Amino acid sequence: MLVTKHPNSDLLIDYASGALSPGLCVSVSSHLHFCALCRDKNEELSSLGGNLLETAAPAELNASALDDVLGRLDEIQPPRPFTQRTLPDDEAKLPELVKNLLPDDGLKWKFLSPALRVARLAVGESRYELALHKIKAGGKTPAHDHNGLEITVVLQGSFSDADGIYHEGDFLIREPGDVHRPTASQNNPCICLSVSESPIKLVGPIKRLLNPLFSVTPQ
Amino acid sequence: MYAEKTADEWSNLLIKVGLERDREAFTLLFRHYAPLLKGFLMKGSNIGHEQAEELAQEAMIKVWRKADSFNRQKSSASTWIYTIARNCRIDWIRREVRRQRDIHADDLYEPGGENPSQVSLVQLRNKRTIRASIETLPQEQIEVISKIYFEGKTHSEVSEELSLPLGTVKSRIRLALKRLNVQLDAEAEEA
Repeated sequence: MLVTKHPNSDLLIDYASGALSPGLCVSVSSHLHFCALCRDKNEELSSLGGNLLETAAPAELNASALDDVLGRLDEIQPPRPFTQRTLPDDEAKLPELVKNLLPDDGLKWKFLSPALRVARLAVGESRYELALHKIKAGGKTPAHDHNGLEITVVLQGSFSDADGIYHEGDFLIREPGDVHRPTASQNNPCICLSVSESPIKLVGPIKRLLNPLFSVTPQ
Repeated sequence: MYAEKTADEWSNLLIKVGLERDREAFTLLFRHYAPLLKGFLMKGSNIGHEQAEELAQEAMIKVWRKADSFNRQKSSASTWIYTIARNCRIDWIRREVRRQRDIHADDLYEPGGENPSQVSLVQLRNKRTIRASIETLPQEQIEVISKIYFEGKTHSEVSEELSLPLGTVKSRIRLALKRLNVQLDAEAEEA
């Protein structure tokens, strides 16, 4: 399926130059996993970084720098903590980058509504909350508004709202005032990565019941 | 001194390091790139001489460790080394300024490599196009591009620092990218 919703150029520039906070960075990376077009744009923006490096005025290093570095090349790298955990089927199909961010003891899915679960991902983010949302096949999520920016990247399956249908890789930005009610496609559950700036406001009759569960707690 | 090498020769050396763990090839890369890295990093006003030295060395050690993931079909040696230095700078800022050392930039970026590029024309053009030097840009564009690439500032941080409206920062960046022949105009619907 062709990805049709992309991050804007400002985000891609901040990504290539290294300015995005961890949560936003992961959202763009997840999109790039699916989107060759934006991978090319990123390569183009990074190649400007390469040109700026090539044409920088060289600055002399300490006299011992080369020897110091050569002496350190064989330092043993502490092995990456790796747990041979068997992931549930849907998690096993997530992009490698996202799998590497899953907690060692497994995702803790929390109940948000009968059709919707959320699990937070810790990336040392202070301003945004990074999380995975899972909507069960055909499930409707509660209608909600946004107090701040919310980015959603579809990682698995598809969902729709009043504006359209979104497939794997699609990158959506919602701003305050955009009320929507995502519904997963009938055949498959849908997993999305989301980055949100501040608590999501539920609208509609069940909001009093559910709203505290939506509160965002940046670490 | 040694004769200046072409982009392809730097890529060859990088591949040699990746495949054969060749220290001589690495030494040539170090002599060329380490001073450039230090100079590049020092252009950011937020990084001093000592830190730039430390980061340049750290980046070269990473070049050695990660050389086997370099893919010449995708990037030039300079672009690939730039992304390594960029991630070292991100980690340094998190470690030294924010006292956070829980996660590494390498884990947050799309690893690329195995994912094929769609538009091979872009790559071909990249290889052939010699980009105008940033020095040929008007001063006001050099200023924003420097803050973005040398200091890793976001659009909004640049706008705050220079007391310019965000729209002005964006248009200066777009103009600069256009003059530097960075192609972003592929028809894509933005979110």
